[in-house]
Amino acid sequence: MAFTVVPRHGNTLKERMYLPSLIGGLSTTFGTFFKNISDTQAIPTLEYPEIMPTDITSRYRGHHRLTHRDDGSIRCVACFMCATACPAQCIFIEAVERNDGCDEKMPERFDIDLLECVFCGYCVEACPCDAIRMDSNIFSIVAKERRDFVVGKEYLLRVRGGYEPETSQAALGGEHE
Amino acid sequence: MNSWMTVVPILIMVLLSVGIIPLLIWMERRIASMVQNRLGPNRCNIHGFRLGGIVQSIADVIKLLYKEDFYPRHIRNRFLFLIAPVIVFVASFLTFAVIPFADTVTIHGHRYAMQALPTTLGILWFLALTGLGIYGIIIAGWSSHNKFGILGALRASSQLISYEIAMGLSLVSMILTYDTIHLNDMVAYQSQTFFGFLPAWGILIQPLAALIFVITAFAETNRAPFDVAEGESEIVAGYHTEYSAMKFGLFFVGEYLAMTASAALIVTLFLGGYTLPWVSTEMMLSSPDLLIGGLILGQWALFVPLMLWIRKNNLRRGVVCNGRERERHVLLWLFGSILLISTALLGTMLAGVIDPLAITLLSAGVQVGTFILKLFAVIVFFIVVRWTFPRFRYDQIQYLGWYILLPLGLINIFITAFAVIL
Repeated sequence: MAFTVVPRHGNTLKERMYLPSLIGGLSTTFGTFFKNISDTQAIPTLEYPEIMPTDITSRYRGHHRLTHRDDGSIRCVACFMCATACPAQCIFIEAVERNDGCDEKMPERFDIDLLECVFCGYCVEACPCDAIRMDSNIFSIVAKERRDFVVGKEYLLRVRGGYEPETSQAALGGEHE
Repeated sequence: MNSWMTVVPILIMVLLSVGIIPLLIWMERRIASMVQNRLGPNRCNIHGFRLGGIVQSIADVIKLLYKEDFYPRHIRNRFLFLIAPVIVFVASFLTFAVIPFADTVTIHGHRYAMQALPTTLGILWFLALTGLGIYGIIIAGWSSHNKFGILGALRASSQLISYEIAMGLSLVSMILTYDTIHLNDMVAYQSQTFFGFLPAWGILIQPLAALIFVITAFAETNRAPFDVAEGESEIVAGYHTEYSAMKFGLFFVGEYLAMTASAALIVTLFLGGYTLPWVSTEMMLSSPDLLIGGLILGQWALFVPLMLWIRKNNLRRGVVCNGRERERHVLLWLFGSILLISTALLGTMLAGVIDPLAITLLSAGVQVGTFILKLFAVIVFFIVVRWTFPRFRYDQIQYLGWYILLPLGLINIFITAFAVIL
């Protein structure tokens, strides 16, 4: 049976004296410190509110949105699959009968409590109609009061997909907004 | 003049101990961020003036001052609970009082010691008071009536018994070398040279004692790598778990004060104190032309790199808000005009008849400036060390103190004693 001898470190006199490695560590930190302080422009920190991140991929789960049919009406059929799948139980749907011939049911209310939401994306996975998506590219959700974080159907319908045409829903065979 | 010359050292002491605390908090944060390749707090501003982020620590202090002074109900002994941070603060504050900022100034035949307490106790005062500071921590942990508090206090006391002896031994060897306990005489000794060219700084004469003292000074100030008395993942905040608002603020300030005091003592004992290398006080007093010329050169050497740095680094690419451009202009104008005005003043002094009183004060000022520069260098070292080394377990600290530092200190004393006798 083959085996390898793992070298043990820390037993030579140089290592047991500690000081050489302490000096090595200090030279690393001091080197980084002086390098950075002499040229702060080179520090890769993003100056966030002024400069927005540009590397958010299309898989990023941002603010939810509700998609439209070709005629511009709501795609959701109020099947409650998303609300059932939601682990945070933050989706509140009230269904109503739909009489315009497109379908049988549509939501009267479709509220998402964004403070409860954990942005897991299960609602998107659960939706049989591709009616809810999280590809809005909105990663910063701000409001002044708690109740403002509960967003309704009209607002969710207004949120647009946030990616380039080739990655957006149009390229995926969906509809234009 | 009499009263002024006694007040000035006290003012310098207050400025260097309490006054630079916001600066130290700022340095801690920014140096930490620079070591870790990030920027640190740089947003807080007053009308666009960020001063590199110093405004942030002012805001923090104001926040601490205005927080509710909260007493947990389970505190039985409120007096001890209240007095503990005061002990920590006062002990570290008074430690600073014996540090000489400049050589004894002689004006009209009167001699004024440039230290806040004109005493010759020196190192003994330091040893007495730094040992006292730990009482504050122990009392705080005990009176908090909190498991984490008591654990933190116990760790602090276990740390105390591990480092104090080694620290004392290293100081004994320094006392043997300098043949005095008065810090000013120690600095005077260090302004000599040995081997003809090396300045007789303590760190060159006694490298082993310097090493031991620096290590124990880290332990004494409760700073990383010896910050076992607190630790978020282990014992929450340790001894100050139950403290909030300015009571916590006093602990915080006390910790930084202890760091400044230790740094000041390291400067005084091992780095030549207020003296410039190869330049003694008599040399400065006897050649005023050279002193003023050197001062002009020195301030250009300080200010020009600073202004170049501000010009290059006070802006970040792509950030055009908060009036940063204006701040940079104002700062450059400010520093430039200070530089030019002081150069002009010194130039007129150099051209005219030089008043001996002015020379005395100038040389004292140069020494204070040298001391402050060295102090900040040591503080930067303290801070970078905090962000370099991993923490010790408290049994490792005891092992280090008793098995390594104590024998080393004893050996060093023997060697020093032999050298002194021979």
